[in-house]
This record gives sequence, C-alpha cells and structure tokens, in this order.
Amino acid sequence: MKRSLRIAAAALVVALVPPAHLVAQQTVAQPAAAVAIRNATIVPVVGPRVTGGTIVLRNGLIEAVGANVTVPAGAQVIDGTGLFVYPGLIDSGTRLGLTEIGSVPGGEDTQELGDFNPHNDALSAVNPSSEIIPTVRVNGVTTAITSARGGVIAGQAALIDLMGWTPQEMGVLPRAGMVITFPRIRSGRRFGGEGGQQGAEAQAEEVNRQTRALRTYLTNAKAYAEIKARLAAGAPGTQEVSLPMEAMVPVMRGESPVIFEVETAEQIRGALAIADSFRLRIILRGARFGWQLADTLAARRIPVIVGPTVSSPDDRDPYDAIYAYPGVLARAGVKIAFQTDNASDSRNLAYNAALSTAYGLDPEEALRSVTINAAQIWGVADRYGSLEVGKVANVIVTTGDPLDARTQMRHIFIRGQAVPFTDRHDRLYQQFRARPRS
Amino acid sequence: MPTLGRRSGALSLAVALGALSAHAGTPARVDAQVPAQAPPALQAAATPPQQTSVPPLQAPIPPAGRLVAITNATVLTASHGTIERGTILIRDGRIAEVGTNVQVPAGAQVIDGTGKYVMPGIIDSHAHTGIEAVNEGSNSVTSEVRVEDVLRQDGGGIYRELAGGVTTIQVYHGSANTIGGQSSTLKLRYGLPVDSLYFQGAPLGLKFALGENVRQTNYQPQPGQPRRYPLTRMGVEEVLRDAFTRAQAYRREWQAYETARRAVRRGQPEPLPPRRDLQLDPLVEILEGRRLAHVHAYRAEEMLMMMGVARDFGFRVASFEHGLEGYKIGNELAAAGTGVSTFSDFWAYKLEAWDAIPQNAALMAERGVVVSINSDSDERSRRLYQEAAKTVHYGGASEEEALRMITLNPARQLGIEGRTGSIDVGKDADLAIFNGHPFAPGSRVEKTLIDGRVFFDRDRAPTLENLIEQMRRQQPRQGGRPVTSAGGAQ
Repeated sequence: MKRSLRIAAAALVVALVPPAHLVAQQTVAQPAAAVAIRNATIVPVVGPRVTGGTIVLRNGLIEAVGANVTVPAGAQVIDGTGLFVYPGLIDSGTRLGLTEIGSVPGGEDTQELGDFNPHNDALSAVNPSSEIIPTVRVNGVTTAITSARGGVIAGQAALIDLMGWTPQEMGVLPRAGMVITFPRIRSGRRFGGEGGQQGAEAQAEEVNRQTRALRTYLTNAKAYAEIKARLAAGAPGTQEVSLPMEAMVPVMRGESPVIFEVETAEQIRGALAIADSFRLRIILRGARFGWQLADTLAARRIPVIVGPTVSSPDDRDPYDAIYAYPGVLARAGVKIAFQTDNASDSRNLAYNAALSTAYGLDPEEALRSVTINAAQIWGVADRYGSLEVGKVANVIVTTGDPLDARTQMRHIFIRGQAVPFTDRHDRLYQQFRARPRS
Repeated sequence: MPTLGRRSGALSLAVALGALSAHAGTPARVDAQVPAQAPPALQAAATPPQQTSVPPLQAPIPPAGRLVAITNATVLTASHGTIERGTILIRDGRIAEVGTNVQVPAGAQVIDGTGKYVMPGIIDSHAHTGIEAVNEGSNSVTSEVRVEDVLRQDGGGIYRELAGGVTTIQVYHGSANTIGGQSSTLKLRYGLPVDSLYFQGAPLGLKFALGENVRQTNYQPQPGQPRRYPLTRMGVEEVLRDAFTRAQAYRREWQAYETARRAVRRGQPEPLPPRRDLQLDPLVEILEGRRLAHVHAYRAEEMLMMMGVARDFGFRVASFEHGLEGYKIGNELAAAGTGVSTFSDFWAYKLEAWDAIPQNAALMAERGVVVSINSDSDERSRRLYQEAAKTVHYGGASEEEALRMITLNPARQLGIEGRTGSIDVGKDADLAIFNGHPFAPGSRVEKTLIDGRVFFDRDRAPTLENLIEQMRRQQPRQGGRPVTSAGGAQ
C-alpha cells in the first residue's frame, strides 16, 4: 500500500505544487531594513580583500562596502568575525529548473524534438519551486545560466537568480544566448558497451548533414533579418512571419550571443568559421580540447565556458587533461568561466573549479571564473560578479574559501534577501536525526 | 582499436585461469602469484598501446618496495591521527616503521616528503573499472558469473584512478539483476599482467542488487522481448528467498554426501557426490560465512527486507552499496553490523535517489555504522578525496572520520583491514602522497605506492603541460595548427 502510494506520487511528482509553507520557505519577504555584515574579511573579487570590513545591503543592492563603513541606524547586524564575504557564485551552464528527477519523464524539459528550436526560451519552463534549486543556492551558487540541450539549435538560455516566485521574477537575462551544439558524433558508450549503434561512417555523414543544415539555416536567418531590416527602413513589400526566424534576428544582428557547444579542436575551428561567415558573437562552452587553440581564442577574445571538470579524458589524452585545460586557457589570456552542465550537481560548481586549481589554474582566477568573469561574459558585470557599491546584493558569507569543500556557508543573500537553509536535504536530515536511538 | 591485442592477451589469460579453477571444482578466487619475472608473452601483452598518453611502467619493474623511506612528511594515518614531520619506512612492500624518530637505513630509496602529505592508499569499495562486461542480466540469479573472468588491464581507467591516489578497488558486476555475480578485490598494479591485479587473500564477495534497476524500472524492453521477473520489490525478495532456499537444500545434499562418505567402511563403494552447481556454490559460501554479501540498495525498506532475509538464512550483509536512505535506519544497520558504501552527494537521477541527502554518510556514522564513500564510476573514483571532504561540509564529519571513509572503513567492509587502509606497522605499503592536505582545493596526488612500489609518479607522468611543451618543440612557428592524436575526429 505504502509502496504503491509512493510510486503514484512519484509519477505525479512534478505536477505536484509544493504546499504553501514550502514555497514560503524558499522565498521570503523583502526585508524593509538594511543588513550589515560587520568585521568580516571581504573578498570583493575585483580589488584587494578587506580585513575587518563591513558590507551593507539595502533594497536588493550593495549600499556600501569597505573598511570604513558605518552601519546604518536600524540595520540588521550580522557579526562577521572570523567569516568571509564573497559575491554569489555564477554557474555558466546548468539545467536548473528544467529537470527534477532524471528518470521521471514528466519532469524533464531539457530536450525538445527536432534539430532547430531557436524560438524555445528556457526561462518559460523554469520551475521556481524545484526542490533542487534550494540545495544549489545553499552552496553559494546564487545565479545560473539554464538552458535546454540537444538538436542543433536548442533555443535561448536564461540567466536566472536562484530565488523568486515566478520564472520571470528569477530572470536576470531572459535571453542570455542562443544554444547551438556544433554537430558531433555521439558515442552511445555506457557501462563498457561498444559504442553507438551507428557505424563511424554513418555518424560522420550525419555530422556533415547537420553542419550543412546549420549553415543553410543561418543563411536563411541572415536573409530573413536583412529583409526585416529593409522593410523597417521603408522598403515596399511584406514578410511572412516565422517564429523561429524572428528568434534568430537578434542573433544575426550580433545582439544575442551564440553559446556554441563544442569539444574538439575541429569543432572549435568549425564554430569560429561559422562565426566569421555570419558575423556572430560566440561564447564557447565545454571546449575540452580548447587548449589546442588557446592562443587563437585569446587573440580573438572568444570567451570559453569550461567544465564540467568532473569528467574523464579519453584514454589517448593525458590523465589530467580535463582538470588542466581551464588553466591553460586562462594563462593564454582567454576569459573563462565554469559550468557544471547539470542541475543537482550545480552545487559542486566551486569544487569543479577547485580541481583545476590543483592542476595549474591560479586560485584567484578560479574565483573570478565563478564570479566576475561569468558576469562579464554574460554582459551583466555592471550588476553582478563582485562586491561593489550599486551591484545586486548576491552575497555569500562563509567560513573560508568557497572552493574548499570543508568550508561552510553561514549566510546567503540573493537580491538582498536572506536565503533560508531549509532545503529538502536539511528537512530530511533534521527529521531523521531526531529519530530515537533505540 | 589500439588496445585490442593487449586486451585479447589479457582476456585469454583470465579465461584460461578461470577455466582452470572451474574444472578443478574449487570455488576459490584465482589468486595467481605475481610472477617475479613475467613470461615474455605477458610482458609484451602488458605494453600499453602506443597511441595512449598513459605511460608504460618503467622497465624493468622495480622490486616490490624492498627498502623505501618517505621522510619528513605530514602523515595522515587514518588509525592514530596525524604525525607531523614523520617518516615511513617500507621493507619488502610492508610498512616497517612509522613515526618521527625513524632511522633511515643505508641503501634505502628515499622519497623526500617535505611539504607533502601522505595518506593511506584510497580504497574505492565500489568500482566497475577494468572489466570487459558488467551485467549478465539475462536471469535474475547469475551468481555463477565472475568479475575475474573479464578483467583486463584497461587503457586508462586504472591508471587514472592510480593518479587519484586509489590503490585498491572492489570491482562489482552491475545492478541489472538480483544476484549479479562474484566480485573481485584488486590492487591497481597498473602495467603488470592482468592476474597481478588480484588482491591476494582478500575475502570473496558476491554482488546482490535491489530496487529499480533489478525490476528494470528505467528500461524499455525491445518489441517482442518479454519482461523479466521480478517487476516489484516483493518479487525481488521472493527471488532472494528462493535462491537461498535452493542453496540450503544443495548444502544439505553435500552434507549428507560427506556424512555418507565418512561412514563408508573399507571395501564398500564410495557414494556418488551430488552434482556441482556453480550458481549455488557461492550462495552456500555466504550461508557458511565464507563469502561476503554486498548488496546494491537505495531505499530504507528494501535494506530492511534484505537484512530480514539475511537474518532468516543466518548470514550478515557485509555492506549495502549506495544505501542512499541508510540515514533513515542507522539504528538497524548498526545493530546488524552492516556497513554502507555510499555516494557523497549524488542524487535526483532517479526516483529511488530522491530521498538521498548529502548528510547521509555523516549521520550514519553518528549512529555507529561503518561508512565508506565510493565512486561507482571511473571518473568519480579519481577524486574520492574531494568526495570525502564533502562529508565534512554536509554532515559535519570530522576530517579524521572523512579520511577513514575512503581508507580504513572500506577496508573493513571488504575484510582487508588487516592488510591495508591505514598507515600502521605491518600493513601493506599502499600510500598516496599529495602536495597538500588531500581535502584542500589545490591538492593533487604526486605519487601512489602499492606494496611500497611507485605505480604513479606525476614527475614522470605524461601531463597536459608536457604534451603542450612537446608540441611546441616539435612544431615551432607553424601558425597554431598543432597536430596531435588528442582531439582528432571524435
């Protein structure tokens, strides 16, 4: 009986709206007064760290930060003695809000049918009541790119803050970039299997077909955007509205960047060639072989979203290739930011970066790559990514380096609001920790 | 397929040895001695393929850590705290002395540990590394199949685990069926003939599985393919009870035979033995306490079910594998003396992982359960030190306790704690040397020793930095189109 109930509940789990008190736990009311964290070590990420510093948050913004800041009257004061203050961490590639339990199809909004879906916006499907999101933000991740994957053009990624009553409220950039997967051979390898069903030749042909299709699609989009521009300039004639093509217009105008999912050097060269042909603004994501083109990427100022580093290299590559390539890129002058390419694992963002610091990535650069670099790459550095006056008050208060797994989070603020630490895990933990011992 | 030659060589050896043991009718593990000098054919077979960046071991293979000293290091013993500026003396592959006042004898190979941290070699108590096949999922009970028959020195997984400080792994079948097969405990003696991987003297093990995988919840049968029993957790229990009931009857047959044989008087004919049943032999060994039961499980109630079966048939579950809801039944697990080998924080990938919490390990440890952190993946295995650190983060485990979760505790679950898992005199010199505290963010493994022998050495390893340097030397001023095997057509 109990089991059948559980199974039925599982099938419905995503359809279930959490009870009101759970929502209330996830999203608290805007505090009227200011919050001041006093006598803490402040790591603004841009500029030197301040010991014995104070930071004041008010109306969702950082009002003051530094060594000689006066605590405003009426402010809620947090004693930061022995604690550290950092900007909230930014995960530059997730599926947050689009997935809940991986094996339960009802909760999966991560992959649409068809190869070309530029008019799909991830933000509209983000579930603000996802049980995963609170478990991620209590580890210091306050902002994330979330997007669907798959096909060739998967649609627009969104930059979201990890708190809010509605997707729209969470949205920082509803359209942060167009996700395009550079056509690639997909191996079906799992549990020691012998690879996908298709032969290598058939897969190579499929890659060629998709690449041609992508170029054709972009050619059409370019023409569509040009016609649209000429009509707007007063040229006579009409244009049949195409929603996918409309979605491509800002991309073709260079207003919206392309997030190019790539792995190999060949794919990176292919992406660069397409960017040149169509004058696209591109951000590479993944790019595990990007170290082969580090100087080119640096010279062309192409940013790279690296990771996840919790992944294995091919047998023919150096054992540390995945851990080490972010450092190679950064030292060459490429702007990097980290992604987890996951939802439940997004809380391990800082630990992904930590693995790279063991293999050549400068620890300060690692910190920047989960904060200010990400903000710059996504074009929101005026509001996000560092502790500076006037920026959005996404702030974490810790016992130490957030890259160190032993460090604890003490306070987390998103847009100046205190984030509750009561996630699904904490609730179960408290419940069963209270179980009598005998 | 560059590894084919080597794999087939290794495979045929394993098959040959496996066949030998099956014909001899002995259920014992094939624990072939590590040959002092491998036969020429095997040495050739053990040479890694040329296209890999994983290095061959330095030839000739150094003697088994005959006299080695690691000096002036921070020693994390896992059994008796931390020794600052300590020295570890290794004789004949075993730890001979450890402490601050250890004299280094003349002629010892000295590894300068200044600024380094030494911890016991990491034990990954749940891996699928180095095997050609994982699941014999055609029947619900396949206790006759053995990991040792499909072992190979793979092209990278074993080496990368070594490079993550792992020295011992427990290799299981998958979780496709209720009784999956016989597991193997291995030491990652990379580059030696495949039979050198066996951890000699380690207890035998058998992999069981419960829950979603066993009932094929997330599995679409091909058109026309019948579903396999069971489809429910009740069915899983029935499969277990049926198998052990058959094993009991089989055991009684043999006991009756032995009794009758002993009663035969001189001149009378010997009774005929019962037919040997390769599927029931390992179950009898479990009933007699000669083989350990390791049980893949997620939910609390299915673990309670399994402990009930074990109680009824008179054996102990050595460990639950994953046991993500173990925190709900810490009392029962501790009372049964059953360990849990779990993930640090992996969850939400399927329904039975929905109640998983990252505080699981620490909360079970609080209740007295022997807890280990495992990988279940070649990838996670190579950073288990970071996974262990997360138990400090989430459940407030002490660093000492967290360290034990990847060393002494898995050793206890596997019954090899007398041999490895801590830095104590008399134990095998299985050690990982880090450039900093293993839990610190910038730390990496510098050297990994098994039996006092250096099997991984970052100073000699082909790293990405080395590769880039090599490419620069080979192709000066060629305008940035380096040609390497890496990153070719995928």
